Amino acid sequence: MAELPAFESPVSTPFVSSAGVPMEPGGPDAPLTLQDVSSTTKIIVRAGPGTDACRRLSTPFTTSRMEDGVLIVGQRPDEWTLLGQGTAIETVIDGLDRSGHVSVIDGTHSRAMFRLTGADAASVLEKLCSLDWNDHMTPDGAAVSGSVARVTCDIVRNDLDGTRCYLVSCDRSYGQYLFEVILDAGQEFGISPFADPAC
Amino acid sequence: MLIVPCPNCGPRNSADLRYVGESRPRPDPNSTSTEEWRAYLYERANPAGMLRETWYCRSGCRRFFTLERDTVTNEFTNPPTPVAKLGKRP
Ligand SMILES: [Zn+2]
Repeated sequence: MAELPAFESPVSTPFVSSAGVPMEPGGPDAPLTLQDVSSTTKIIVRAGPGTDACRRLSTPFTTSRMEDGVLIVGQRPDEWTLLGQGTAIETVIDGLDRSGHVSVIDGTHSRAMFRLTGADAASVLEKLCSLDWNDHMTPDGAAVSGSVARVTCDIVRNDLDGTRCYLVSCDRSYGQYLFEVILDAGQEFGISPFADPAC
Repeated sequence: MLIVPCPNCGPRNSADLRYVGESRPRPDPNSTSTEEWRAYLYERANPAGMLRETWYCRSGCRRFFTLERDTVTNEFTNPPTPVAKLGKRP
């Protein structure tokens, strides 16, 4: 993959909610956190049925799986999003047979991504999104797409050590807005923002 | 609120989709008449009753599909069909 310029976060600091309330960064023990993880490498692979790439990625639509440090998300019926750190993803992409109807796009710089973590994470999403965040509909590993505060987002449930956690990604240009809106919705649950550690 | 059954995503708020319009066969541009082509582009049946129509799941699976809706009751009858399976976009 070509060398890209240093990553610049779509979210500015200091943090402010969409209602204009200044939000202090929280400690590691905060019950509910929103972390900017936009610098995560995001590779979007589209592979038609019957291609080797489709067989290789294989994660069914609406599900995700972790493989060698790469989260392989079946985001659309013939489209996968690979999330992780550069080198681990490069290994997967380099080994991908691109013959047939296959396209690979690096969406790292064009997509914003946030990690919403905490027992009340689903309650925050319920305020902004019409999808069903109950365990039976969207268990750990579930991948869905839908409107969050009127922004089209890809959402993956990716629990950390048993704590409910969602990766929410959207077009970069909506990143600042979405971050502020989620902060506003999470205020009643004691949400704390975190900056992207890589920026 | 209109709940639209997407064949891939399941029931969705219609705000998550784009209404494409009535599904109708596209005439062959090489053999069609001007009148036929104009009718295909602009004329709509707009019935009070059953209508076969195309939707685009823009916030979800980003796929086109067709289904039948009663325009009076907003009830969807037949299960939705992904447009890809029909072999062409209507
Ligand atoms: Zn859909």
